[in-house]
Amino acid sequence: MGGNSSKITAQDQAIYDLKLQRDRLHQYQRRITHLTTRETEIARTLLSQGDKARALLALRRKKYQESLLAKTDQQLEQLEKLVSSVEFALIQKDVVFGLQQGTKVLKEIHAEMGGIDKVEKLMGETQEEIEYQKEVSEMLGGRISVQDEEEVEEELARLETELAPKAATSKVAEPVAMLPSVPDTELPEVGEGRRQEAAKLVGEERREAIAA
Amino acid sequence: MATSEGFQFPKEHSFPPFYTPQINLSTRHAQLTKWSSLILSYCRHHSIYRLSLSDATNSPSSPAYPLFNNEAINRRLSPSYVKEIVNFMKKDGRAEWYGSDKNEGGGGDVVWIYWRTPEEWAGVVEGWVEETGNKGQVMTVYELTEGETTRGSEFWGLDQELLIKAIQVLAKKGRAQTMGGEENLGVKFF
Repeated sequence: MGGNSSKITAQDQAIYDLKLQRDRLHQYQRRITHLTTRETEIARTLLSQGDKARALLALRRKKYQESLLAKTDQQLEQLEKLVSSVEFALIQKDVVFGLQQGTKVLKEIHAEMGGIDKVEKLMGETQEEIEYQKEVSEMLGGRISVQDEEEVEEELARLETELAPKAATSKVAEPVAMLPSVPDTELPEVGEGRRQEAAKLVGEERREAIAA
Repeated sequence: MATSEGFQFPKEHSFPPFYTPQINLSTRHAQLTKWSSLILSYCRHHSIYRLSLSDATNSPSSPAYPLFNNEAINRRLSPSYVKEIVNFMKKDGRAEWYGSDKNEGGGGDVVWIYWRTPEEWAGVVEGWVEETGNKGQVMTVYELTEGETTRGSEFWGLDQELLIKAIQVLAKKGRAQTMGGEENLGVKFF
């Protein structure tokens, strides 16, 4: 019976044995109960036949069997208790095992982090790196690249060209249908010298802003 | 319509030709179908799991006696025709000669009436195990059929051999494992 016995543990076997004992007691009780009812019947028939002595004997037997029944009841209770405590102990074992596993994993993770000192050191280093990054940013922020400067100039020019015709139209107050006129303002000539000047200006502004 | 302990017999049961094997093939088939469903519902009603055919047809003390004998119309089913009905039911998996799975030849007097097949009982047991949280528990067959924990479940009072058959179905599926001997079998559910 039962193919592989690997899934049946020693505890299972023990519970099974206990339950078998309980089943046997159960069956025994049934037999006794059957006997007691029969003794009563025997006593009744004997009494109707006038055999008082033997009727008494049958009743005595019945009494004795009833006491047996009470005893087996107690035993049955003991067995039931034992079975349930074994089952409960098994559950407890599982819980402890689960806790053990969890603690182990937690410990492993902590070990991987390397203790409080290491974390502290790491946090210090992080702070240092952040400071360093700030410094670098500041230093870099002081100098806008040539290309950026060109873009800034271009945008300024574009804004000017946008604004100029609007100013013109508002003066004329002509209907909306009028097409935008060609800008009549001259594009500002930007020389190399001025550009650097502007760059310096912007840079100074930035520095002030940061200082503020 | 005769009743037997609350069981309502169908009209056919009081119809004399119902007890005579019909010659016409299609009528015969209909008759066999009727008888088999009657036997199944009767056995289900009275929780009969196996029948001794000679008892059921001859002995008035047998619980299945009113099934094959209708004294009101003075008709009884002949044992040979009962055998034919059983063989008819066997084709549907609703009956099995007792002992035929143990290489004892079969074709004897006792027959399993499967108003629930072992597979179906296995499903019932599995559902019960699931529902009552008995997974991973060890139980004895006696406990399952006679114990206090299963009182009220459908398989309480079930024929132990039939329950063992169902458990073996579960074991084959890997949902249970048996332990101990044939006499007091234990089972662990997974």
